[in-house]
Order: sequence, then structure tokens, then C-alpha cells
Amino acid sequence: MKVQFLIYFSMSIFLFSPRQADAQEVQSTDEIQKLREQIEQLKNESAAHKQGTSKFLLRGYAHSGLQVTDESFSFIGGAFNPIFIYKQSDRLLFESELEFELEDGNLGIGLEYANMSYLLSKNLTLRAGKFLVPFGIFVPNLHPAWINRFPTAPLGVGHDGIVPSNDIGVELRGGSYLGNLKINYSVYAVNGSQLNDGQEDAEEGGILHHAVFPDNNRGKTIGGRLGFFPFSNSSLELGVSGMYGTVGAKSSKLEDINALHYAFDLSFVKSLPSLSSVLDLKAQYSGTKVDEAAYPDPEDPTNFVTFDNNSSAWFAQVSIRPALIDNKFFRNLEFAARYSTLKTPEGAAWEVDETQIDLGVNYWIDWRTLLKFSYRISSSAEEDHVEPEHDEIAGNAFFVHWALGF
Amino acid sequence: MKKIQILSFFIIVVVFSFIYTGCSARSNIATAKSGAQLWGENCLRCHNTPSPKTFSDAEWDAAVLHMRVRANLTASEATKIVEFLKTAN
Repeated sequence: MKVQFLIYFSMSIFLFSPRQADAQEVQSTDEIQKLREQIEQLKNESAAHKQGTSKFLLRGYAHSGLQVTDESFSFIGGAFNPIFIYKQSDRLLFESELEFELEDGNLGIGLEYANMSYLLSKNLTLRAGKFLVPFGIFVPNLHPAWINRFPTAPLGVGHDGIVPSNDIGVELRGGSYLGNLKINYSVYAVNGSQLNDGQEDAEEGGILHHAVFPDNNRGKTIGGRLGFFPFSNSSLELGVSGMYGTVGAKSSKLEDINALHYAFDLSFVKSLPSLSSVLDLKAQYSGTKVDEAAYPDPEDPTNFVTFDNNSSAWFAQVSIRPALIDNKFFRNLEFAARYSTLKTPEGAAWEVDETQIDLGVNYWIDWRTLLKFSYRISSSAEEDHVEPEHDEIAGNAFFVHWALGF
Repeated sequence: MKKIQILSFFIIVVVFSFIYTGCSARSNIATAKSGAQLWGENCLRCHNTPSPKTFSDAEWDAAVLHMRVRANLTASEATKIVEFLKTAN
């Protein structure tokens, strides 16, 4: 009986095993074929999404907030600044920033900059188009709402300030090392500022207007900035800027009038382990000197008056953030203070001598999103004069703002 | 006017002398710094340092080129920073 069973068992193995092996082989072949097809499909899909040399990036920022003054309690802002960055190749870059902002209930659209950069060498870039003028540090580096520690710009800086903001022209810029000393540099030619001759509005005679197009004369304004990093960790940057050019309109009485802009800036950022904090210090002094000229007298426009057309503005701000402590809430807090002044020519209808102190507490939601709470104390030595256009908000004010970079 | 023009010319000559010297000078500090160190030092000068996870590798290529021009980074600095960001991404 046992022998019969063994015979049947052996015969079964003999008869069925090759067929099972054949079946497994067929199944494996099918699976390999399926895998090959899947790999081929993935290859095709990957090829379809393969990155080219050109790369596009949409960035930008937005901000809005609440403003409380003696006269108003209002939500303000609603600005949105998309930034388009297009890397055409390893050497060619296009960048542009638009500004959408609510102004007096209407939507204002502005072109902050739109320019092309070509990398000439490891240390030199050619830039052409409309760009942020490398004058000081606030406009080119600190003006975006998510970078600026306060809801507003310092006195004298901004679209109607004495400090140039953006212009059209060409620029050579870059960074390099002199031994172990790092430097950066910029030299440019732009249309330049335009001098208001006071013919349309005598009260504005002598004001320099920036970023007005087209140019009002054939002369181009030449400028530059040189920055030094005295410390090897690049924590301190010292900069000097200058611009010089004709500002009077061609074929006018002021066609030979020139203006000199100059600025000195400082940036110091340092981790302070003893305080578990990061200290950020920024400062800038800006001055403007316009050649002597005569402007219509606002009291009697048939007469002409003259004054020393020199203006200056400076600011210093400090912020400290306990970013190195463990508590998540406190390490996202930042305390900031800013002092800024603006002096415009004595004797001009637009004369102003103003000082502002801003005190703020910020809360960083992430590395580029923050809530700003600040209080401004404003004082002016020339109460009787016309308020300048540099800032629509006069007097003391409390702000709550949010800003988001993306 | 002439003084200003001479001064402008002098500044331009000095600047481009710096550029030439900078191209040929060897900086031990620049060579020794890692991408992470350069990322921290250069970004923090104006804004908080971004997380490497913020963008894809391709997006970092465009973002760092943008910042190379904006922050006047050297080619070596930009290369080290973008390599660090991609590695840590």
C-alpha cells in the first residue's frame, strides 16, 4: 500500500512539476514585460516634465492693516506686489515687480522695476531697464513690506521722498573680494531726477521729482555705490552712494541746473548668544544739493525767490529678536525702534523739519510672514508750512499691519 | 562741474580696479566658507533665512540667480548657496 502511494506520488511530481515551472516562467515573463512597459511610461512622463534651461518663478508680497490716528480709525493698504523672475539661461535673468495698491478708493498700478541682467563675469553683472537705484540700503534692500520692520518707510524715503527710488538706465554691479575684504559695487547711468520749476504750482518750485518719464533733458545722471564688509563674517556693511546729473528741463531757464545726491549707509546683523537673540541695526543718511536757481514766489508768482536747495534725511533702526530661545512664541517676537528725520530747504514753500520715532513689536508667523504692531510719535518744527507729500499720514499714529512674502 | 566729473571718473576707475583686483585676488575666507554659512550670512543681512524646503531645486536655481544680482553675490558664493539649498531640500 505504501509502495503504491509512493509510486502515485512520484508520478504526480513527475507529471505536474514541469507544468508548474512553465506556468511560473510565463507569469514572470508577463510581470517583467509589465514592468518594462511601466518603466517606459515613467521615462516618457519624466521626459515630458524635464526641466529646461529656462526657469520661471513667481514671488512677491502683500500687506494691509489698521491705522489709528486722532482723525481716523481705518483699515488701510491692500497692496499686492507680484515679482516675476525669469531665468532665461545661466547668464540671463529678467525680473519685474508690479505694484497694485488702493489709492483713494481706486486701484493704482505701478511698475517698480522691470529689467534684464546679464552676468558678464564671476564678479560683474550688466543690468538694463527700470531698476531700483542702488542708493543707500532702504530702497534696494529693505522696502518690501515683509522685510521692512515697520508699516511705513522712514521720513524722506518712498515715492515722494528726497531719496531716489527707481529709474531707467543701465548699470554695472557685482561683488568681489580684495584679499579677505569683501566689497560690492555699482555704477550706473539713468535719466535722473527732474526739477520742478514752479511754473505750474509755485509752491512746488525747487522740488526734485524722481522716476518721472521721459527724461526732461539730454544729460544723463551718473551714480554709484560702494559697499565694504570690514568683518570676515559679513555682519557689518558700510556703504557710500552718490548720484550727479542735470535736473533742469531742456530749453528752460533751469536747463543748466544740476543736482548731487549722496548717502552713507550701515547694516549690522549679529547673533548675540548671551541674549539668545539676533540684533539687526540699519542706518542711512541721505543728502541732496541742487544748484542755485530762482523760482516763482508763491505769494506773488511774478516775482522770483531763491534759497539754498539742500535737503537731508536720515534714519536709524534697531530690532532684536530672541530667535535662539526654545519657547516658540517668544522666539518669534521681535522688538523694533526707528528714528528718522527730514529737513527740506529753509525758505522754500515746501520746507519741513520733521522727526518721527517708531516703536514696534512684530510677531513672525513664518520666515516671511509677520504681524506688525507699532506706534509713531511725530513732531514737526514747521507747523505753519504746507505738509509735504512724502507721507499721507501726519501726527502720531498706531498701526497694526500684516505682511506676507511669497 | 569739472570737479564732480573728475571725482566721478576717479570713483569709476577705483571701482573697476577693485573688480579687476577682486577677480585675481584669492580670498581664503571666501574659499573656506560653506554654502550653509554663506546662506546664513548673506540672507540674514536683509531678511530671515529661507528654509531650503521653500522651493524646488529648479525654483532655487531662479531664486538664487535673482539674489546673486540683487545681493551682489560672487559666482562662487551663489554656487555654494544653491548647492546647499538643493542638498538640504
